[in-house]
Amino acid sequence: MADGIKAEMYKIANRLKARMGARYKDQEEGFLAPDVIEEADKLITQLCEICPDVIAKHLENLSALWDKMRDMPNSAERTETAEKIFTLSHEIKDMGSMCGYGLIAYFAESLRDYIDRTDLNLKAQVVIIQAHLDAMQMCHRKGFRTDAGPEAEELKKMVKMAIDKYH
Amino acid sequence: MPKRLKKPRFPVYIRTSIVQNGRRTNNRYPLSIFKKKDLPYDLSNFTILIVEDSEHMQNLMASMLKVFGVGEILACANGTEAQDLLTVLQASKKSKYLTSVDIVLMDWLMPKGNGEQLLDWIRKSEKDAIRFLPVIVVSGYTTEYIAAKARDMGANETLVKPISGTNLAGRICSVIDHPRPFIKSSDFFGPDRRRHNVAYEGRERRSTPAEEVKVKSNG
Repeated sequence: MADGIKAEMYKIANRLKARMGARYKDQEEGFLAPDVIEEADKLITQLCEICPDVIAKHLENLSALWDKMRDMPNSAERTETAEKIFTLSHEIKDMGSMCGYGLIAYFAESLRDYIDRTDLNLKAQVVIIQAHLDAMQMCHRKGFRTDAGPEAEELKKMVKMAIDKYH
Repeated sequence: MPKRLKKPRFPVYIRTSIVQNGRRTNNRYPLSIFKKKDLPYDLSNFTILIVEDSEHMQNLMASMLKVFGVGEILACANGTEAQDLLTVLQASKKSKYLTSVDIVLMDWLMPKGNGEQLLDWIRKSEKDAIRFLPVIVVSGYTTEYIAAKARDMGANETLVKPISGTNLAGRICSVIDHPRPFIKSSDFFGPDRRRHNVAYEGRERRSTPAEEVKVKSNG
């Protein structure tokens, strides 16, 4: 270590193991019962059953926000609406990737990242956000799930063209 | 007035009662004699705080933890709420070292106080009970950048969404099984970022074998 750089190390008692009782005080690694892990995975499956409805609702909200934002001049309100779109697309991405809707998740992630890293440039945003929304809505309507295959590639190409042209 | 003894919070012994030839024999065995590999972790004494803005994800994680047998599950929708809750809980314990929360499971991206801010607040807290809290970051970002950033800000574990039962259980067990020492330097406070002791493979420069080095003690 170079001169003048100080580091302190705190070795703290393993309170978590102690809380579980005497039998866990050793150094061996523990585990959770396989049946409870299986049960937890079933909960994910249950969530995935309602996933299309949740995504549909999010898309509806996203469209409503976008309708509100599209013709708004650059302002604090517009930035706030863009933030809401960012959060909503992040949520769609989470749900989509969790439940096997890879293509919607792909576009939602792309939209989230686009909003995150760009300035509020009205012309570019209108085209690019609209392209993302159209792509997600088409995926949902037509039931496209995986992010591979000819339809998926076609949609990705469409969105990419919009990004390349206006960004 | 005699002082009332507190009941231990967890069983230390297993009692057996066997009737043989009309005679009852009572025995008491320490639990530690049972091999742990036969006994899964019992999380009923644990309190886990979930910080997640998405209602669906919050419900899912809470249900998964319930299935894992976690005793108490607390949930907050953002980092600001979580800061308030941790402050209140720590104050209610009236202890510098104790808080009611054992593990924090936090989303990285949230409106109103994101995971980054919350983690920073936890690790910079003046209360030991808060700053040493084990934190598992759950991130929807799949880039290594977020995992590295979370680690450099003092997260114990990172879990990338989509989560599964195995992943979540694995991270919880890892936090329990491998509590790394905390390191404090000028620009970092958090669990030691080196997870493994890797043997040095370069040219040996030491002229004295390590075991022959005499350490001078002041005490």
